[in-house]
Amino acid sequence: MSASGLKTGQPPVEQARSGAFKLTWRLLLIGIGALVLLLSVTRFFTGAVDLTSAGAINAAVALAVPIGLAGLGGLWSERAGVVNIGLEGMMILGTWAGAWGAIQFANPWMGVLAGAIGGAAGGLLHAVATVTFGVDHIISGVAITILGGGITEFLSKVTFAEMPGGGDTQSPPVPKPQVVSLPGIGEPLAELESQRWFLISDLAGILRGLTTNVSLFTILAVLLVPLTFYVLWRTAFGLRLRSCGERPVAAESLGVNVYTYKYAAVVISGALAGLGGAFLSLVASSAYREGQTGGRGFIGLAAMIFGNWRPGGLAGGALLFGYTDGLQLRRGGESVHALLLLVAILIAAVAVYQLVRQQRTQAAIITGSAAVIVFAIFALTDSVPGQFTSVTPHITTLLVLSLAAQRLRMPAADGLPYRKGQAK
Amino acid sequence: MLHNRFGRLAATALAGTMLMGAAACGGSEEPTTTASPGDAATSAAPGGTGPKVGLAYDIGGRGDQSFNDAAAAGLDKAKAELGLAEAKELEAGNGETDAAKEERLRLLAQGGYNPIIAVGFAYSGPLKKVATEFPEVKFAIVDDEAATGPNISNLVFAEHEGSFLVGVAAALKSEKNHVGFVGGVEVPLIKKFEAGFAAGAKAVKSDIKVDVKYLTQPPDFAGFADPAKGKTAAEGMFDAGADVVYHAAGGSGGGVFEAAKAANGKAIGVDSDQAKTAAADLQGVIMTSMLKKVDVAVFDFLKNAAAGAPKAGTTVYDLKAGGVDYSTTGGQVDDIKAKIDEYKQKVISGEITVPKEVG
Repeated sequence: MSASGLKTGQPPVEQARSGAFKLTWRLLLIGIGALVLLLSVTRFFTGAVDLTSAGAINAAVALAVPIGLAGLGGLWSERAGVVNIGLEGMMILGTWAGAWGAIQFANPWMGVLAGAIGGAAGGLLHAVATVTFGVDHIISGVAITILGGGITEFLSKVTFAEMPGGGDTQSPPVPKPQVVSLPGIGEPLAELESQRWFLISDLAGILRGLTTNVSLFTILAVLLVPLTFYVLWRTAFGLRLRSCGERPVAAESLGVNVYTYKYAAVVISGALAGLGGAFLSLVASSAYREGQTGGRGFIGLAAMIFGNWRPGGLAGGALLFGYTDGLQLRRGGESVHALLLLVAILIAAVAVYQLVRQQRTQAAIITGSAAVIVFAIFALTDSVPGQFTSVTPHITTLLVLSLAAQRLRMPAADGLPYRKGQAK
Repeated sequence: MLHNRFGRLAATALAGTMLMGAAACGGSEEPTTTASPGDAATSAAPGGTGPKVGLAYDIGGRGDQSFNDAAAAGLDKAKAELGLAEAKELEAGNGETDAAKEERLRLLAQGGYNPIIAVGFAYSGPLKKVATEFPEVKFAIVDDEAATGPNISNLVFAEHEGSFLVGVAAALKSEKNHVGFVGGVEVPLIKKFEAGFAAGAKAVKSDIKVDVKYLTQPPDFAGFADPAKGKTAAEGMFDAGADVVYHAAGGSGGGVFEAAKAANGKAIGVDSDQAKTAAADLQGVIMTSMLKKVDVAVFDFLKNAAAGAPKAGTTVYDLKAGGVDYSTTGGQVDDIKAKIDEYKQKVISGEITVPKEVG
């Protein structure tokens, strides 16, 4: 994760590519619309109803939130120039602290707060190590991940093991944050969904998944994405923070206290990862359990890179991972098999685009044959074996990442050591 | 520059502390006893004349309310009835290497503990290695047949027979003719559960639909400790029309129970009587549990060892030997108990042979 491989010679300014591609609301809505249409077509022809069912969408959001929160944490830290591979450790601290706070004060929101504080403590340690003492960011991050597992193991032995219903590796059940639904639309939407009409039922399923049985914590987590964007890109504080990640020497020459900003960024980063952990123990399940993060911190980091160090991009990456993970967990063989058709359609569309708009015949032929191969696999099989379905989210993310990787640009000074008063 | 030198020194100190902290917390290598309250008698029973017993737990250790706790119960019973001289319990850490497991077993053997029991198939490789180094020490391993030797006893269970019974129960209780199975990790051991469950369900209703999902694939063992994934998988089954879901997913099972509650469905627990140990508001959805009586096996082995004659090689604790069974806590299967017991007798008498592998 050094900056060297990704320097493309472009000036490290955000506007560099704006001439080539600018994401507007209109474009975004068209994109979402096309995606829903594509899902609907696939659902209609394959009969894999789970692709757009309310349950799948609900599961997708629930699985995406912890990844997205970890990714947001990574974003804050890396935008200030500190690589945070300790997100997993901070998340683990968050799972324990979230459950402990909720049980101790018999209030789920105290758990949310405690989770953030637990993660922030991990972030503070990372900041002390990397900013004050100049420890290599990767080494400190790995140490924090190991430390997070060890500390929580010890802490649950002295806390949860003493509580009725708890044990060395798990907490008693925790009080959960309230679950809300948009009143009055759940029933009609469910009715529409069950009709299996083209597009209408799919839209109903997606809407119902997004509006019923949503935890208040989920809503909070979703709101943190635009909030992060606003703070980092629309305030002076955010501009200064990002300048520390792009060119700390320049920031320093303009009077920005780089250390303070890096500290703030890394502590907030830890708090967000801690929230992700608390979500796991408070909403996604109803107790702390050792090892329940299962590498989600690292996936969050990948989602952030996939999202080009931008909040919208990382939210998209987390949702993609959450959605495919939800699909494969719920009705793996059938849904993942249907996704093959979707992939074939997508690749075929790319081939047509290459042929018609770009006049790249050779590339179009290669892409076209890839589409035919995927379609052939789809047509010749009935279902995807379990050994493959469980890696669907990883493969999907990897594919999209490798396609998008050519255009990624990390903050210019990300991961580089910085000492106050250094020459360059 | 003083500042820089101080910085480097402090950084080194910090990194060192971090590593030591991690080492101290991560492994339980030191021969200290675990801190849980039930352990008061860990190295007690002074004056006992029986053997010094060493017990190495898998991840979770005493207090996991499942597999390891069952082994601990067997040990506790042995302590009370056999007058053990001393019992030492060590616990595996999450994600540790085989070398760490070897070291743990070696530590026990060198400390003069004999016999030594390793709980869980994860000890297979390490146990085999250590057993050859200490030919005079008697070893036992729970759930594994691969580690063999003249001084190794393999205590294995006929999980497929127990799963067969709960499969029968699930099919009898299913109104939609559709049941589900959530496995933690797709390893041969867990596939035995699936095979037995499916066979049991189909023995009652040959056309019943059985959904199967494994949460992760080896070597990723996160599927045994991820309730969020267990919940999502079970929700998918309930949404697809299943009304009874059986899990063999360790710690992820809590998520299965939650999903069952939300969907007004039923769930079946595993290994221990989970209707007694699950969260209070979830106990009602657990209609029965497949019992795997690790305590019986551990006590049996210790009794033989105390008498000086532990049997090397494989001992299968099946339905006939009382090694597996189903639970009746909550009274939800009382109405079909006679039917289940009928199948139980057929399995014991050999009239029905339960498949070990998914057919």
